[in-house]
Amino acid sequence: MRKSWTGRRWAAFTLGPAIVAVAGVWFVPVAGASLAPQVTRSNDVAHRWLADCAVCHGSDGRGSDRAPSLAGAGPALVDYELSTGRMPLPPTASSTTKTRRHRPAYTPAQQRALAAYVVGLTGAGGEAIPTVDVEQADLAAGGEQFRLQCAACHAWAGDGGALLHREAPDLHEATPVQIAEAVRTGPGTMPAFGRAALDDAQLNAVVAYVRYLDHPKDRGGQPLWHLGPMAEGAVAVILGIGLLLLVTVWIGEREPTP
Amino acid sequence: MSTPERRAEIAVGVSFLITAAAAVGLTVVYWRGGQPQLEGILLAVAFGGLAYGFVTWGQKLMPPGPVVEERHIGPSSAAEVAELDDDIDRGVVGRRTFIVRTLTIAGGALGVAALFPIRSLGPKPGNALTTTPWRAGLRLVTDDGSPVLAAEVPLDGLVTVFPEGHPGSADGQAVLVRVRPEQLHPVPGRETWSPDGLIVYSKVCTHAGCPVGLYQSDNHTLLCPCHQSAFDVLDRARPVFGPAAVALPQLPIRLDGDGYLRAQGDFSDPVGPAFWSRK
Repeated sequence: MRKSWTGRRWAAFTLGPAIVAVAGVWFVPVAGASLAPQVTRSNDVAHRWLADCAVCHGSDGRGSDRAPSLAGAGPALVDYELSTGRMPLPPTASSTTKTRRHRPAYTPAQQRALAAYVVGLTGAGGEAIPTVDVEQADLAAGGEQFRLQCAACHAWAGDGGALLHREAPDLHEATPVQIAEAVRTGPGTMPAFGRAALDDAQLNAVVAYVRYLDHPKDRGGQPLWHLGPMAEGAVAVILGIGLLLLVTVWIGEREPTP
Repeated sequence: MSTPERRAEIAVGVSFLITAAAAVGLTVVYWRGGQPQLEGILLAVAFGGLAYGFVTWGQKLMPPGPVVEERHIGPSSAAEVAELDDDIDRGVVGRRTFIVRTLTIAGGALGVAALFPIRSLGPKPGNALTTTPWRAGLRLVTDDGSPVLAAEVPLDGLVTVFPEGHPGSADGQAVLVRVRPEQLHPVPGRETWSPDGLIVYSKVCTHAGCPVGLYQSDNHTLLCPCHQSAFDVLDRARPVFGPAAVALPQLPIRLDGDGYLRAQGDFSDPVGPAFWSRK
């Protein structure tokens, strides 16, 4: 009797998660696919432009009441928006939809072809897709520039932060090229940082540092989830008040009355 | 006098003397130019000694409670009164003179140490609050001192700039942004201050002095990270949100023949938070 009950419980414990896992594998991609833009099978970049982009940006790329003109956007900005999956927006999007990082809808080759196609449509201008060299980069100098120019919005650990009715995204998933593209072009709310603000060597250093922030060496010990002074202050308050309580107990102690 | 009480008295006195020694040490360190960590440790030792002395005094030397008051307060007998008078005359009452004297020394030394910061007052600030290092003709440079070329600031670009020769200047720091020239509608008197849509404002927030380093380029808003004051770049950096009540001072700039940016003079207003005599 006891054995069979144990067996049944064992089955419930193993089968339950298994069913959930199978269901997850089954349904999640389906749900994802229904949100993803309809990617045409054709390799024709013009066809892809008309199918996925032109509905908002106009067939000539000059924008509409739903989306800005891409004139002067440059290959770097187009590549950034496509490679981070921010564009194309899902068909359910409205003009107020905030763009977020998603799995990209196209292959890297398709992204670069579209970037070139946009330049062909709207004329040259804007930033070329930057080449990044993080091997020779000065990590310490990158950290300095990051704290000076990036940390105000993206937070000191690159976790992102709140702005006024807007937010700065976290940087941990960004690839080196995407970081460089964002710095140079300033997508969305972000300002652009030209060579006056960061020269190419400094840009490489900042990219190296942002990548480093994804797996930082926490020399201070327990990083407390990189939450910063709030978490560290909470620990100090709890430890400090605990110590003060012990001192209070000592002060209140009296010699037993003889 | 019993031995444990005598021991406690000595412990209290020694901790008060430690306080006095630490306070003297604090005075010396401060006099010789100061060293924050050492000063902190000495101050902690001084007050720690005082605290240890008081607590030990209270625990070991004060009469232990609880004390129950008799219902009927009986006056001392004439013999007891006479005995006390005798004691006072013979100087037996007041056996805590050692502790009281050391406490006086400790308090006196701490008091003297507290007087020394008066030496640090002055000189008078003069007009330091109303002027910055910016002068007509100075080039705009970045934090590493390299001059800013207008052509290297893209549309919606952001650069933190300093007066030439003063990189890192706290009150001279400013933000340079580029907007579309047709979006700018300068107030009268500032028409020539923002060539080609390049416009410079003080980076010091007018609320509490934090660096206004966040720029939302899509709605041309400069944001202060401390208290979320927001300033409209297109409209003389007027505060549009948050606790700041005063617009960011604007720096008049011009383009020189080589494409570098130069100041036309100092900021339009005193930078930073309001102060008592601000006009």
